[in-house]
Amino acid sequence: MNKYRKRTLLYDVIGVIVALALFAVPFVFMLFNSLKNRKEANLLKMSIPTEPVWGNYYEIIQANDFQIITAFKNSLSIMVLSVIILVITASMAGYILQRYQGKAKDTFSMIFLLGLMLPPAILPTIWVLQSLHIYKSLFSIVMIEVALQLPFTIMLYRGYMNTIPRELEAAGYIDGCTKWKVFTKIVFPLLKPVTATIVILNAVTIFNDFMNPLYFFPGKDNVTVQLTLYNYMGRFSSSHNLLFANAIVITVPMLILFLIFNKRIVEGMASGSVKG
Amino acid sequence: MKKLLVMILTIVMVTSLFVGCGSKTEEPTAAKPAKTEAAKEEATKGETEKTEAKEEMAGLPFEGVELTIMMDQNTVAEGVEAVAAIAKEQLGLDVSMDRSVGGSEGDNLTKTRLASGDMTDLFVYNSGSLLGALNPSEYLLDISGEPFMAKIADSFKGTVAIDGAEYGIPLNTIMAGGIMYNKAVYRDLGLEVPTTWDEFLANCEVIKASGTSAVIGTYGDAWTSQVTFLGDNYNVLAENPNFATEFEAGTAKFATSPAGVKSFQKLIDIEPFLNLDYAVATFDEGVDMLATGEGAHWPMLSFVMANVSDLYPEAVEDIGVFGIPGDNPDDQGLTIWMPNALYVNKDSENIDAVKAFFELYLSTEGLDAYTAAVPPTGAYVVEGYALPGDTMSIVKDDMQAYIDSGKTAPALEYMTAVKGPNCPAITQEVGSGQTTALEAAAAYDADCLKQAIQLGLDW
Amino acid sequence: MKASKIYSMWFIVPAATIFSVFFLVPVLISLFFSMTIWNFDSFRFVGFDNFVLFFSERSLAISMKNTVIYAFLSSGLKVVLAFFIAIFLTSRIKSKNFIRSLVFFPNLVSTIAIGMVFKSLLHPTKGFVNTVLGTVGIEGISWLGNPDLALYSVILTDVWKGVSIATVIYIAGIVSIDQTFYEAAAIDGANEWSKLKNITIPLVRPAMNTVILLSLIGGLRSFDLIWAMTGGGPGFASDVLASTIYKQYAAGFYGLSTAGNVIMLVLIGVIAFPLRKLLLQKEMD
Repeated sequence: MNKYRKRTLLYDVIGVIVALALFAVPFVFMLFNSLKNRKEANLLKMSIPTEPVWGNYYEIIQANDFQIITAFKNSLSIMVLSVIILVITASMAGYILQRYQGKAKDTFSMIFLLGLMLPPAILPTIWVLQSLHIYKSLFSIVMIEVALQLPFTIMLYRGYMNTIPRELEAAGYIDGCTKWKVFTKIVFPLLKPVTATIVILNAVTIFNDFMNPLYFFPGKDNVTVQLTLYNYMGRFSSSHNLLFANAIVITVPMLILFLIFNKRIVEGMASGSVKG
Repeated sequence: MKKLLVMILTIVMVTSLFVGCGSKTEEPTAAKPAKTEAAKEEATKGETEKTEAKEEMAGLPFEGVELTIMMDQNTVAEGVEAVAAIAKEQLGLDVSMDRSVGGSEGDNLTKTRLASGDMTDLFVYNSGSLLGALNPSEYLLDISGEPFMAKIADSFKGTVAIDGAEYGIPLNTIMAGGIMYNKAVYRDLGLEVPTTWDEFLANCEVIKASGTSAVIGTYGDAWTSQVTFLGDNYNVLAENPNFATEFEAGTAKFATSPAGVKSFQKLIDIEPFLNLDYAVATFDEGVDMLATGEGAHWPMLSFVMANVSDLYPEAVEDIGVFGIPGDNPDDQGLTIWMPNALYVNKDSENIDAVKAFFELYLSTEGLDAYTAAVPPTGAYVVEGYALPGDTMSIVKDDMQAYIDSGKTAPALEYMTAVKGPNCPAITQEVGSGQTTALEAAAAYDADCLKQAIQLGLDW
Repeated sequence: MKASKIYSMWFIVPAATIFSVFFLVPVLISLFFSMTIWNFDSFRFVGFDNFVLFFSERSLAISMKNTVIYAFLSSGLKVVLAFFIAIFLTSRIKSKNFIRSLVFFPNLVSTIAIGMVFKSLLHPTKGFVNTVLGTVGIEGISWLGNPDLALYSVILTDVWKGVSIATVIYIAGIVSIDQTFYEAAAIDGANEWSKLKNITIPLVRPAMNTVILLSLIGGLRSFDLIWAMTGGGPGFASDVLASTIYKQYAAGFYGLSTAGNVIMLVLIGVIAFPLRKLLLQKEMD
């Protein structure tokens, strides 16, 4: 038993060192360089700043009339709304697609699979938005993000539905539940673990999305956080220090989200394994 | 229970969306730059007395009117802002900048916004061949009859005109595209400005032997690799003065004209003299190298002097330029780039204000304000306007010499609408040794063919 | 029990509506325009000309080859590496929560930021990676500047970032394997290796298939990272389909770009559909 413990400890140590080296180093690099002055940062050295310039963080926050605050407001709104709608619509769809048999189901299956493969068509999408008179509204960009993430999310829900026994729903029906109640009261609560995973995966993807808001949500008031990065990636001059500072600042919400949900994901996974 | 909560939240959110969707109550805030220019401060100080007097006299003609200009991040805004300040005082106009992403994303954004009817009153964009891609007759205002257009040199007007209609005014000065060089390095090594390409390469050998990078390469920013090719236009035209018209008609090709192939060959010729990290070096790093003398030559556009004067003011007088040498020592010329232009959105609600703004922009007062905010890196295309005495020597002496002796030629993109959009990648490719000059020329011809077809030309 | 009493197709309607209106319909519209020369509000029908042009351009042949290399290499690495990382993270190691978070970290940062950071790290003379390599005698590799290396450098960065999601999926799969299997095997005297081979790998098949399919399709469509790190360069050396499509789009060749989109769809379809069938069958066994 002792030898086993020693070996695990060794793995622990090696694991942590390797993980840190591989995964933490780039962020340390970002952190160091975000605190340097422009000339020093552009040297791109992995070194501690000679004189930490904390003012960099203030500078990026107040750049362009505190543009980053509007950006946060927009990005967070888009993210929250999209995730909520995704969870609701995709769980419903995944539920049925996994349980139901039949031609209709197969067609829908195929359609959603298409979404996994195809990239969006930019200009036609804008035309659609315009004809619906919702172009440049928060609603439209949320709908687009939802549409783009639906296939993946539905797939995850479908996969997880495999682990939920059908008998539960049958039992619910016998007890007099309507179709809707069967779903909301019995099935959906059981989907909590995968929902946690879905929430964080989609939140990150949507929050970090750059391209889609650029095209479908343009305008000075509609700036998103990823766009602010481009302030420092000029064609003719770059300020790496500000760029990294900005990158760190806009990663913070994701970090917080992750810290909250991390436990849930682990719990969810663990509880998933204790099944009769 | 949680489900209920989620559902309620959703309903609340969704309803608030539809409520919030329609309102756009925020007024565009006039963006004042974080940096304060000493020159601008002086300009505004001098104006306050005048303004007070004026305000007492009469209501300002465009009081309360707001103009927005869409301008990408890479464009220097201080000059426009200086003119905007005057506009505020004299005309009551509020001019604000809508800064957007730069590069190809910015281009896309401009086209998308025009197409979707969502463009600002004014916007900045290239003159020359790229204008065609915006479908100007559809979206832009024709200003050819306006009084201020008479002040502009014909050579510029030609680059903002399509089918007889003129669409823009020059944003700033022209610039030269040639070989920027560090005069201090030349002095130290006893070198003279080369008059032929072979002489240039010989100079490079000497410089390389001395341990300095003979030629700066910054292909990390792909667009910079184009300059060697594009700046050679003078020599291409020297061989065949009708090249541009024939090219436009589809009869002349780069692959079949010796000077054309030579232009690409030059990229290969300089490769052995480039700095070690040329493939990833950025424009920024190029500026550093040129100003500090770490690199002796840099095929680049003269606007780079703005960066140099900003970061290395003491090195400004050490930088000079000469046109990319050809094979004829008696005919060495400089290729010139026209400035970007300010265009007018046809659907703008403030056309009169725009015209007044343009009038001001091209007036001596406006130009003076611009020059005070942004030291000129080339001559203005406004006739009768002389550069101030403290203009840097590279502009006053080096560039002016070529202009005075008539040895200049516009870059090809100002003579024909066809410029292959993949040019940077092609020059980057041949410049990093992946293709031969002939292959590159052929690739560029193929690229131009695609664009010609897109533009509806019959090639 | 009739299934239709408990389940209703109406549940799919919300998702299907959003998906159709905001995705499917535009894509169908674009299919039409791929056969035109398109200029925002006017178009000229040209049949298959765009497609022919697409195939005859030299930089396109490169991009198709690169796309396939990128997809299979990045996917393969992710599938294998993530599996072992997941095993490691579901064993009795004490620090696994810490390492799990660390491994997931790259995923939280946007691709653009990652691209910029790695571009700096991989600089041939100033980059940290080369500084470290210099200490063991390997000098001056131009990761992103050397046309032969550029694509692979981006692939490695992609794997660095993407292995985290793959790991999460694997972990979910591993953790849902019934412990009784392992207990039974232990009683039978199986060691770690055979447990792995005979229990874990077969039962984690669904997760593995998800990872394979997702990372492969993602790899075929990949754009953000390549664009941020090399812009398809030097020259066209690291261009993939997605970046070529974008370049055509940026050049204003809308019909041509859309044609590229269609080609991408066909390519992905031809690879993904049969693969999916193959994997599902194996799952059944």
